[in-house]
Amino acid sequence: MTALVGGVLLAAGVALFILEPVFSGRRAMRYGGDDDFDEGAARRRVALTALRDLEYDRATGKLDEEDYDALKLELSREALMHLGRDEDAGEGPGTEALRISRQLEDEIAQIRRAIRRGMQCVSCEHVNSIGARYCGRCGKRLITGAAPAGTSSDGAVS
Amino acid sequence: MTVLGEVALWIALPVALWGTVVSFVGGRFRRGDLVLSGERTVYMLTLLLLVVSAGIIAAFLGNQYEYRYVANYSNRELDTYFKVAGLWAGQRGSLVFWTLLLSVFSSIAVFQNRRRNREFMPYVSGTLLGLLSFLLVVLLFADVNPFERMGFTPVNGRGLNPQLQNYWMTIHPPTLYLGFTAFAVPFAFAVSALLTNRLDSRWIAITRRWILLSWFFLTNGIIFGMRWAYEELGWGGYWFWDPVENASLLPWLTATAFLHSIQIQENRGMLKVWNMGLVVTTFLLTIFATFLTRSGLIESVHSFAENLRIAYIFLGFMGGMAALSAVLIVYRLASLRSENQIQSFLSRESAFLFNNFLLVGVTFAVAWGTLFPLITEGFFGETRNVGPPYFNSVNIPIGLILLALMGIGPVIAWRRASRRNLLRNFTVPVLAAAGALGALAVIGVRHSMALATFTIAVFVMTIVITEFWKGTRARARIAGEGMWNALGSLVRRNRRRWGGYTVHAGVVIVFTGLAGAAFDVRMEQELAPGEAMTVRSALGTEYRLVYESLSHSRPRVAEGERENDWRWTALLTVYRDGERVGILRPERRFYPVMEQQSTEVGIASTAFEDLYVIPKEVDLESGSERVTFEAKALPLVPWIWYGGLLVTVGALIGLWPAARVSAPAAVRRRSRPGPLPAAAAG
Repeated sequence: MTALVGGVLLAAGVALFILEPVFSGRRAMRYGGDDDFDEGAARRRVALTALRDLEYDRATGKLDEEDYDALKLELSREALMHLGRDEDAGEGPGTEALRISRQLEDEIAQIRRAIRRGMQCVSCEHVNSIGARYCGRCGKRLITGAAPAGTSSDGAVS
Repeated sequence: MTVLGEVALWIALPVALWGTVVSFVGGRFRRGDLVLSGERTVYMLTLLLLVVSAGIIAAFLGNQYEYRYVANYSNRELDTYFKVAGLWAGQRGSLVFWTLLLSVFSSIAVFQNRRRNREFMPYVSGTLLGLLSFLLVVLLFADVNPFERMGFTPVNGRGLNPQLQNYWMTIHPPTLYLGFTAFAVPFAFAVSALLTNRLDSRWIAITRRWILLSWFFLTNGIIFGMRWAYEELGWGGYWFWDPVENASLLPWLTATAFLHSIQIQENRGMLKVWNMGLVVTTFLLTIFATFLTRSGLIESVHSFAENLRIAYIFLGFMGGMAALSAVLIVYRLASLRSENQIQSFLSRESAFLFNNFLLVGVTFAVAWGTLFPLITEGFFGETRNVGPPYFNSVNIPIGLILLALMGIGPVIAWRRASRRNLLRNFTVPVLAAAGALGALAVIGVRHSMALATFTIAVFVMTIVITEFWKGTRARARIAGEGMWNALGSLVRRNRRRWGGYTVHAGVVIVFTGLAGAAFDVRMEQELAPGEAMTVRSALGTEYRLVYESLSHSRPRVAEGERENDWRWTALLTVYRDGERVGILRPERRFYPVMEQQSTEVGIASTAFEDLYVIPKEVDLESGSERVTFEAKALPLVPWIWYGGLLVTVGALIGLWPAARVSAPAAVRRRSRPGPLPAAAAG
C-alpha cells in the first residue's frame, strides 16, 4: 500500500516537473549564448594547429625545407580562405583578403620571432610583445633570450 | 521498495515516449517549451530508473524469491556484494542496468549542453529518449520484466553461477556497459547533425571526448574481462574468441577506427560519409554486444540461454536503425562531400585510411566467425563453429600490420612526406628491429609469429620513444625548459597526440605479452602431500612446487544458514631457481545450491612471467589427499596487464580537459562573433 502511494506520488511529481514548461511557457534556450562555433572558426583553428604541427614536424626532422615551405604556403592559404569566407560581401574581397593575408603573415612572423626570443609565455602560451619581461596575461616572468644554445635556464622555469 | 521499483518501470515508459515526441516536435517546430519538457524528461527518467534499479537490488537483498529473476540468480547464502551485482547478473537485470546507464549519460549530455549547441539538442534528447523508450518497451513487453512473479515463493534461489562469483563480476560488466552506453551520445549527435544538416566537423568536435570516454571504458572492460577469464576460468588463457568476447571487441574495433578517421575529417574535411557510417556501425555493434551477452543466440560461456524472442526483437531494432541511418546519410549525401583529396600515398592521411581499412577488415572477420554458427544453421541446417584457429590465422597477420602502422603513421607528416625523410626517420627503428630479430634468432627463438611480433614491437617502441625524445628536446630548446618540464608541457600542449602515442606504447606491450603465449610450458602431475613437481619455463626459470597439505573449509556463517560453497584448499610452497618465494593456495570449490564445481587457481607473478597452478582433481574418496596439479609457466602474461595500464594512462591523458591554445590575435578577433550569422541560419 505504501509502495503504491509512493508510486502515485512519484508519478505525480515526475508529470508535474516535465509538463510544467508546457503550462508555464518556460522555454529551453534555442541558441547558446557562448555558442561561437562555426565552421570557419573550426577550420581556422585546424589550420593554425596544422601550422604549429608543421613547425614541430620540421623541428623533429620529419619534413625537409622544401616540403616545409610548400606546405606552409598551402596551410597559410587555407587559413586565409577560411578567414575570407566570413567576410561581408560589401567589402572588396580581394583587398580584404590581401589585408588579412598580410596581417596573418605578420602575426605568424611575430609569433615565430617571439618563440625564438622566448616571448611566448611558457605557462599560458600568451605571445607577448617584444621587450616584455613579464607575461601580459598571467604575470609569469618571461625567459628572454633563451634560444641560443648553451643557455641554461632550468632554474628560471617552474 | 521492490513494488515501487516496478511502479517506476511502468511510469518510465509513457514518460520516455512523451519525451521522445515532444523533443522531436519541439525541435522541428521550434517550440522551446516542448524542448525543455523533453530535456526534463531525460532527468526524470534517470530518477525513475534509479528507483527501478534500487527495487531490483532490494529484492535481491531481501531474498524475495517470488521474483523469477531473483530466484534464478541468487540464493540466501550468497555474499552481499554479489547480491547487489545481481542487478547485472542476468539478461533482465542487465537490460535495466544498461537502460539506467544510458539515461545517466543522456542526462549528463543534456546538462552539459544546456547552454551550448542548442540547435542540436532537441534531436539529441529525442534520439536518446527514443532509445530509452525502445528499451523500456522491451523490458515491459518482451518476457524480460525483472519484476515478473512466479506465483509461488521458493524457499531458496537457484544461485549465481560459480564462475560469476568472483570480484571481477562487480567491476567488469559495469565497465563494459559504461563503454557501450556512452557511445549512444556520439550517435545521437550524429543523427542530430544529419537531421539539422549541420554536417561540418562540429558534431565531431562536440562528441570527441565522449567517443574517447566510451573507448576508454570499452578498453578497460575488455581488459578486465581478460583478467577475469585468466583468474577464474582456470585454464591459463585470457581470450577464447568466445562469441561474447568477440561481441565486445567489435564495437571496440570500429570505435578505434573512428578515433583515427575523425582526425582526417577534422584536419582535411574528408571521409565524412565514412565517419557517419562508422559512428552508426559502432553504435549498432554496442547494441548487438548487449543483447548477445545474455540472449543465448549463440552458445557461449557467458550466455545462460533464456529467451530467443528478445534476440529477434533486437535484431529487428538494429535493422531498423541501420536502415533509418542509411536513409538519412543518403538524403544528406550532398552535404557530406569531401572537401579535399589525398595528395600523396606517402602521407599520414593514407596511413590512417589504411589503418581504418584494416580495422574494419578485422571487424568483418571477427563478425563472420562469430555469426558463422548462425549462418551455417540458416543455410545448411547444422551448426558449425569456427574455432580459435580461424580467428588467429586471420587476425594475427592483420594485427601485426596494424601494429607496424602504429609506428609508421606518426613519423609520416600530414599531406605529404618525402622519401628521403622517411628513410632518415626509419633508419634507427629499422636497425633496432633488425638487431632485435638477430638477437632473438641467436638465442633460439623459432616461432615465426612471435618473432614477427617482437621485431615489430621493437620497431614501434623505438619510434614512439624517439618521438617523445625529439619532441621533448625541441620543446626544451625552444622554451628553455629542463627536460622533465619540457616533457610535461609538450604533453599538455597536445594531449591527443601524446596521449595517443602513450596508448600505442601500451598496445605494443600488450601485443608482446600476447605473443608470449607461443612459449607456454605446461605440466601435469598427481602429487601426494610432501611430494614435489618441477616446471622449467621458456625463459629458463626453474619452478619447484612442493605440495604440503590439503585443507577442507567451510566459510563461517550465521546460525541457521547454510554455506554458499565448500572449499578444498591445497597448500603449495613455490621455489624459484631453488629459492623459496612464497605459498600458493589453489582451491577446488563445490557450490551446493547450484551443484557445481569450480576452480580457483594459484598465480605466482614476476615482472616477466606467471606461474599458474590449477588443482585439476582432488582425490577425496580414498582419503589419501592426492591432488592432480597442472602447472603452467606463462611468459610475458604480466605484460598484457602492464600494457593495459599504459593504454589507460594514455586514454586519460587524451581525456583530461585541455588548456585552451591561444590563437593569434587577428584570428581571435575575427572569430569572436557579433550577432552570429550562424545563429540566424540554424
